[in-house]
Order: sequence, then structure tokens, then C-alpha cells
Amino acid sequence: MSQENTEETQATETTETFEPKIMAFVCNWCTYAGADLAGTSRMEYRPNVRIIKLPCTGRIDPLFIIKAFENGADGVLVSGCHPGDCHYTAGNYHAKRRWIAFRSLMEFTGIDTRRLQFSWISASEALKWVDLINNVTDEIKALGPFMDFKNLKG
Amino acid sequence: MSRIGVFICQCGTNIADTVDTEKVAEEMKKIPGVVHTQDYKFMCSSPGQKMLKEAVKKHRLDGMIVSACSPHMHEKTFRRACESAGINPYMCEIANIREQCSWVHHDKTKETGTVKSLDLTRMTIERLKKNQPLKPNKIPVNKRALIIGGGIAGIQAALDIADGGREVLLVEKTPSIGGNMAKLSETFPTMDCSQCILTPKMVEAELHENITLMTYSEVEKIEGFIGNFRVTIRKKARYVNEELCTGCGDCWDKCPFKQDSEFEHGLKKRKVIYTPFPQSVPNIPVIDAPNCAMLQKGKCGVCAKVCGPKAVDFEQKDIVVEEKVGAIVVATGYDLMPNEHFGEYGYGRIKDVINGLQFERLASSSGPTGGKILRPSDGKEPQSIVFIQCAGSRDEKKGVSYCSKICCMYTAKHTMLYRHKVHDGQSYVFYMDIRSGGKRYEEFVRGAIEKDGAMYLRGRVSRVYEKDGKVIVQGADTLSDSQVEIEADMVVLATALVSRPGADTLAQKLGIGYDKHKFYNEYHPKLKPVETVTAGIFLAGTCLGPMDVPESVAQGSAAASKVLVLTSSDEMIKDPTTAIVNDFTCNACWDCVVACPYSAIEKTDIKDREGNVIRRLAHVNDGVCTGCGTCVAACRSKAIDLKGYTDEQVYAAINAF
Amino acid sequence: MEKALREKARELLTTGEANVIIGYEWNRRKTRATPAFITKADEVDRLIFNPLCVNNLSIYLTRKNKDILRMGKPAIVAKGCDIKNIVVLISEGQVKREDVVIIGMSCNGVVYKQGLWKGELRPEIMPVKCHNCDVRNPHLTDFVIGDHIDFTPPETPRGMVFDKIAALDAKTPGERWSFWLEEFSRCIKCYACRQACSLCYCERCITEKNVPQWIETSAHQRGNIAWNLVRAMHLAGRCTFCGECERSCPANIKLNLVNQKLVLTVKDAFDFKSGYDEKIHPPMIVFSPDDTENFIK
Repeated sequence: MSQENTEETQATETTETFEPKIMAFVCNWCTYAGADLAGTSRMEYRPNVRIIKLPCTGRIDPLFIIKAFENGADGVLVSGCHPGDCHYTAGNYHAKRRWIAFRSLMEFTGIDTRRLQFSWISASEALKWVDLINNVTDEIKALGPFMDFKNLKG
Repeated sequence: MSRIGVFICQCGTNIADTVDTEKVAEEMKKIPGVVHTQDYKFMCSSPGQKMLKEAVKKHRLDGMIVSACSPHMHEKTFRRACESAGINPYMCEIANIREQCSWVHHDKTKETGTVKSLDLTRMTIERLKKNQPLKPNKIPVNKRALIIGGGIAGIQAALDIADGGREVLLVEKTPSIGGNMAKLSETFPTMDCSQCILTPKMVEAELHENITLMTYSEVEKIEGFIGNFRVTIRKKARYVNEELCTGCGDCWDKCPFKQDSEFEHGLKKRKVIYTPFPQSVPNIPVIDAPNCAMLQKGKCGVCAKVCGPKAVDFEQKDIVVEEKVGAIVVATGYDLMPNEHFGEYGYGRIKDVINGLQFERLASSSGPTGGKILRPSDGKEPQSIVFIQCAGSRDEKKGVSYCSKICCMYTAKHTMLYRHKVHDGQSYVFYMDIRSGGKRYEEFVRGAIEKDGAMYLRGRVSRVYEKDGKVIVQGADTLSDSQVEIEADMVVLATALVSRPGADTLAQKLGIGYDKHKFYNEYHPKLKPVETVTAGIFLAGTCLGPMDVPESVAQGSAAASKVLVLTSSDEMIKDPTTAIVNDFTCNACWDCVVACPYSAIEKTDIKDREGNVIRRLAHVNDGVCTGCGTCVAACRSKAIDLKGYTDEQVYAAINAF
Repeated sequence: MEKALREKARELLTTGEANVIIGYEWNRRKTRATPAFITKADEVDRLIFNPLCVNNLSIYLTRKNKDILRMGKPAIVAKGCDIKNIVVLISEGQVKREDVVIIGMSCNGVVYKQGLWKGELRPEIMPVKCHNCDVRNPHLTDFVIGDHIDFTPPETPRGMVFDKIAALDAKTPGERWSFWLEEFSRCIKCYACRQACSLCYCERCITEKNVPQWIETSAHQRGNIAWNLVRAMHLAGRCTFCGECERSCPANIKLNLVNQKLVLTVKDAFDFKSGYDEKIHPPMIVFSPDDTENFIK
């Protein structure tokens, strides 16, 4: 009985001290600028995200996402301009198609899709960015480390 | 091994408050390839930049990281500093530790901000190690410009560009330049006679040494890219030799056949050999081939017989020419919504229901009535006229969702013109709202109501019908909450402005976007109002959407200034962030060609000495590529990469995470 | 059927309309059908056609087999399912329609295991793709050999692959992950899947690109997962479900499941089935502004 309790406490502790690593692939024109605006407006959000800036979501290859997981990301975030707002007119539409197929594949493979999130965030949606980072961080924190990939033998 | 310098900015206390910049500097020194690190109060200040440059020399740096504010803020500043210190500017990268770190993580112990800054800087360092020096792309620029559309916007653009010393090719579909503005009688709010202010510009365009007019001509094909367009233009057969014709008018005087005049909107006939209006530029007639007895049946030929200089040439054929230009201004204008939309207003059925442009012709001193307001049905002077606003506009069900913008003003003008010409005439205006934003516009409308006695009724018209030679208008007056019935002599519809038929086909040829109403899309509605997504193609006037004469002129000038900037030097400098194909691994599957939003990738053939195609390859045109990278993600074999955002750079950044 | 095929082959070679016939012949022991490349008219009698002719010969039209391309203009013996791959190859610029003669074969189905073939075709011995085949009468051909076949495939595809996909879909992500981990752990990175696939025609496969090395090449779990996921992604919207990859896999990895899953996804999301119209671009490089999803926040 007491042993069980100890285990439970330990589990809670690890979850509490666990700080997920979240990698974000964002486009330069909308989401990156939106994240900048969150800074300019001195908003505050969870510090777990590391951004890689790309010109457009159209540039984002599924390889990036797989590589991020392989490198120990507990979650991956992909974000760009809203449909119709793409700086390059259509890159995000291409991206959307790719994501539809890729997410279906990831889901089918059994990768928890809560660890791979997609969003449209415009240059003015600092608040949306802040909420997203907070929610994703909390969600992934609750899920714990992404052992599926971390356990893979390399 | 690279020699990288890492500079961490404190940004006063903006960064230093929540990030231990000294620690970041210390830690980064441990990374292989980093030879110098330093933190400083204000990296962007001139002492800061001086420090950067000195460090480059002292430590023989070949790359530089500045951990500071967003690259959107000072990337240019630091890259310029790099360049002046002798390193390629693209060997400088920014780690954003202010907007995306110190300003959003308020932990005063500096723990959070420092940890994140270390990560961000490290990722950027690893990325930088894979950077390649890049050189801006230089694209040769042909200094000629093509203007499509010879209305006021096109004419203005042509004149400004020509005055700027560049050659202009002004292509107009109809036999004369002038566009819709040439049809107007007076213009609001100053009541200048339209012909009086437009004709001098038309003549100037004709005589300007830098402008080549191509009227009665249409653009058929556009190839190439910014600075280097190849345009195929069809010069339709006029059946009149432009070199010989003196514009004397003997031919159209003697021509025995008549057709409805397009210019007069059917209010008058024109001959089959004709100029659209007396002030036409050029003043050279065309033969309306489908209606010409000589061309169709080989009988007549009167015009040729009376022509002194023997300019009439029934054998003339369309000529297709290819012209090279560096920039294109599209100014194709608008049309009025066609009749069939207005069944309930009796348009096209009742002779005395006319549209706004027809009223302009009636009021024009050079028009079919010599400037007298007379009913089309019996030529009598109308004692009352009902003007119906928003005919088709702001009515998604029956017409278009948008406001046609100019109708409130021209209707007010029409009531004034009417009162000035028919002193005891009464005008009624059915309106939804009066939209008179613009300099002196509101005062103008007030004048129409207060001085010239126009009766404004707020409400929609439900029905218009003919009775005993009158046009009966039934409608609602929502302000007095009553139904009104007016026995009018004439009705004028302020019909919606719509895009030109075929606007979509032209857009597809040009590779520019258009909205669901087939008005062309500007690159950015606020900051790039006359640019399109296709570099080197600009827009002006009502092909973008409804606008009035001053706006069209302003846009013509704006587009002209863009063209002049583009053609100000022989070469255009373009950002080197463009895609590049690996010739050895390209599969020629054309996925990139299809995926590219800019049609910047071409299929090329590699030939052997005998000229046999031995391989086919994708090739990126640096002049057109904007560097979005969609092609890179589409390429399965990764035979295409994006300079500045290469797979290697991204891979390195992910691996450093 | 074989007689007609041989006559057609003879005619093509004699007239010079084709320089090489890519078809099937018996192996030496007459137990298996094996690819044949016939360049001489007097050798056309080697050609056979029967349900053991399973190989998708369209790989011999790709840049992977330059020695065969060098033989001259090919005429290919192709079942409807093989023609689907030729259609994709044409739409991706790998083959020009006019550069290949397609001898379409009416086909009632094939048999993967020689042991099961006793001269009679029974549904039990045919693979799933044949039960759902809508191209038993080949769709893009220059000539058709064989009689018209009356067969209507079930409206919604049926068979083990589809049952298995549905069963996996019903499981938890964790269970699915374990399943695939076990499957992919058997991968020995022999790339037989790639070699057998006519749509894996890359001049240089992504896994052979080492700057950067996106996919780890050793046959360990991490590299195996990356390889198999990326290959599936590269076939999204292109795979015609010919089944050659799974058939050639020495480790029996259920590749048909991933590939068919994406075929279904693409069908649902973009209303696209690959292999039918050579004039249409594969769906992953085009888009529609109306594409819908329910996961982008």
C-alpha cells in the first residue's frame, strides 16, 4: 500500500518538474510577426517553445517534424498565415494539403496528435499565439515526455 | 572551421532585466567554431556597431550572430554592418532574444530568459555554420513600359513614365484612347468639362516622343518576368492606312451604312467607317468589318472612292507583333452592369429609362442632343427625372455586394446638370445612403439638394412602368414611412460598376489575381495598392474596383512611379533568397513547376551536340522566384533547395534544439 | 490470349513501331512468370500471360532502368493495375505517352503464390487489389488483348487490408504505435520496397542524400520509422495500391496498410484517386482553397 503511494508521488513529481521541449516551425510573415507582437505588447507565456523561422509554411517539410521528434521534441507546432493571407499567395494552401495527409499518417502510426499541432496565426494575433503556446505547453506537460520517440533505439 | 563572433545585446535593460547576457556570452564561447563573444548595452547604436566591425577585423570573423531584438527590427542594420566590415551580409544571423524571450518571460531571476536565450543563440549558431555567402541577384531591366488600357488611369501612367524619360507602349482595345472619362459631360465636384481636361492629355499622349500608341489592339500573350517581359500584341485591321489617313472625315461622311454608336451607348448612330467620337486620338477611322458591305459582300467601297490620300485598304490584315518591355501597368477600366439585371426598372424595355453614362452623353455638349436634355423616346424635354441609386450595387441577391462608390456623386451632379439645363425641371433621387466622402464632395451633394432643388427620397424603388407617355416610378420613402409614386418623364439608373468582360482571361495571361467580381487584386490593400503579386506588373484605376477620376489619376501616377523606380537602373537587385535546382538529382517530375505559386520554375532541355534532348531539368528563374520554398517541400528527392533557408541550415537548427 | 499477344508483339517489332517488348516469360522451371525483354520478332513466342504475371512491369519504363530505356521504344504488356502506374509516370513527366506502346491485358486477377495456382483462378487465391479492381478492362492502352470482362467491384473496397486499417483505426494511439514499432523493427533497410515501386524513380533517393542526412540509414528503429513514414508520404496521392512494395518486402512489413491508408485519406480529403487520368497533376502539389480539415487551430 505504502509502496503504491510512493510510486504515485514520484509520478506526480516528475510530471510537475517536467518541462516539455516544444519546437515551432513558423512562417516569417504572419506567425513570427505575431510572436514578435506578443513581445512588443509585453505579454507573458510559457518559455518552452523554440522557434525555427521559415519564409513560408509552404517551405515546411514533414522531414522537419520527424527530425524534431527524433531530436527529443515533446511537441511540435506548425503555424503560418491564415488561408488567403499568405505573403506568397498560396504557400499555406500547399502546406495545408501536406498537413492533412501527414497528420493522417502520423495518427495512423499511433503518434499522439496532441503532440503535433497546427494553427493559423496572423501578425496581429499575439494573443492567439500566447494562448496557443500556453495551452500546448500545458497539454504536453500533462502528457509527459514523448517517450515513444525518445525510447527509439538509434 | 568557422570563426564566428556572437554578440549579445542587453538592449538597455530590455533584455538584461530578464536575461543574464554575460552568462550567455560566456556559454556560447564553449561552442566549437565560436571564437569571440561579447555582450553590450546597445548593439544597434553606433558604438555597438563600431564594436562589431572592430571585432570582425580583430578576430578575423567569417560569421556573426547578434542575439538581440527581432530580425524584423535590425537584421538589415547588422547585415549592413557586416558588409562594411568585409563579411558577406548573409553570414550574419539574428537570434531573437527580445520579442520572443526577454519581453515575454518576466522571470526576474533571469533563469527562464537565460535558458531560452542560450538555446535560441545556440540554434542560430549551428544554423549559421551552414550558411553560404549569398550575392544579390542582378536582373537586367528593359526600360520600356507597357500600359494596357488607354483610359484616364492609363494615359496618366503613360504620360508620367514618358516624362520620366522612359519609352511607353500604350495599348488600347478600342479605336481611340480616352476610355469612359471621354464620355462624361462634366466632372464632380468642380464641374470641369470632362473633354476640356481630358482631351489635352490625350493629345499629349499622342504627340509625346516617348509614347507609342497602339489603338484597336489587344494583348494576346505575356511571357517572361519582371524587367524582361515579352508581349504579343494583335493590331486589329483598321482597313485604313494610318500613315496615309489625314482624318479629314470624307469617308465617314459618305458611308451609306449606320450602326448604333458604342460611344454614345446607343443614343446615336455612327457610320460603318467611323471614329468613336470627334476628338478621337488618333483621329483615324476604323471600318466595322462585320457590318461593312464591301468587306462582307464586296459591294460598296464608297469610302475608298472618296478618300483623297487613298488610305482605305480593304486588304489590310491583323498584325501580330512581339514587344519587349520591363514593366506592365494594367489599367483596363470598368463597364456598367448589363441591362438584363434591371428588369424591374424597365431598363432596355422602356426607352426613357437610361443609365448614368447615357445621361452623361445627353448632358454633353458634344453628345447626341448637343447638350440638351431630351427624352430618347420622343425627343421632348423631360419635366421631371427620377434617379435611382444603387441599381445593382449593394445588393448581393440581384447584383453585386459592393458599393460602386461614384454613383452618389455623379447622381448629385446629374441633378445639377439637369436643373442648369432645364430650369423648372424637378429631379427625384431614390437612395440608400449618401456616400460623399472626399474633398468638397459633401458640400457638392448639399448644393444639389439645397441650391438645385433635388428631392432626395431614402428608399428603394419597387417598380417602374410606362403609362400614357410617362414613366411611373413606385417606391418607398422610408424617412416619411410612406409609399410614393412619381410620374416621371425619364428615369436614370445609377447602375453598378463591374469589371470588364474578359478581365479574368487577361489576369490569367498576366498571372495576377482577381476577386470574385473579377476586379484585380492588389498585392497589399494598404501598403502595396498598385502592385500585384507578379513582380513588374502594376495596376491603376477601376480595374481594381470602383473609383472616381481623381483616384484613378492618382493610381496612374503611383503605378508610373513604381515603373520609374524599377527602370531607374539597368539592373535590378533582388534578394538572393531564391530556390536553386541540383542538376544532377533533378527527376524532371515537374512537381516544383506545378507547385510554384509564381510560375518561377521552367522546364529546360539539356541537349547534346546534335541537338538531341538528353535530359530535362527544372530551372529556377531568379527574376521571378520570391523564395517561399514551396517547391523545396514538394521535391521528393530534395533536388531543389532554398538559398538562405537550405535544408542543411534547418537541419542544423533542429539538431541544436 | 497469349497467341494474340504474341501476334501483336511480332507485328510491333516487325513494323518497328516498338523496339523492345516488355512482357512476361516463364522462368526456367516454368514455375514463375518473370520479366522478359524481347527485341527480336522470332522470339515473341517466349511471351506468356496468365495469373502468375504479377510483376508491375512499369518500373522498366522509369529512369531506374536506363539500360532498358536504351533498347529503344518500348511496348509494355500491362494489366489495368500496372497501367495506373504508367498513368502516374506520364502525369509526372517520366514517360511521354507517345513514347510507349501500351498493350493492355484484360485481367481477371492474379495469384501471388505460385503454389496456389493450379490452373484455375478462384477468388480465395487472389490478392485484395484484384477483388476491388475497377480496371480489369485496361483503361489507357494502344491495344487491348483479351475479351471484355464484366466485373463490378464493390462500392466500398473490401478485403483484409481494409479490415486491418479499420481495426487499427479503432485502436488507441499507443496500440497503433506498438503495432508499427513491431512492424518497422523488422525493416532491414534493403530498400526492396523502393526498388519494386515504379513511382520510387528518384535519381537520388532522399535516404541517399547525406547533406543533410534527414533519414538515418542504419537499420535501427529511429531510421526505420523515418524511412517508412517518409516513403509513405512521398507516395501520398500517387500510390496506386499495386502492392509490389509489400510483395517484395523480405520482412513482410505491412506496407500496404500505410499506403492504402493514405490512398483513403487522399480520396476523402481531396476526392482524388491516382492512376486514372494522366492529364491531372497528383494532388499533393496542387491545392484547392476549399480544402477542409478540422485540426488547424
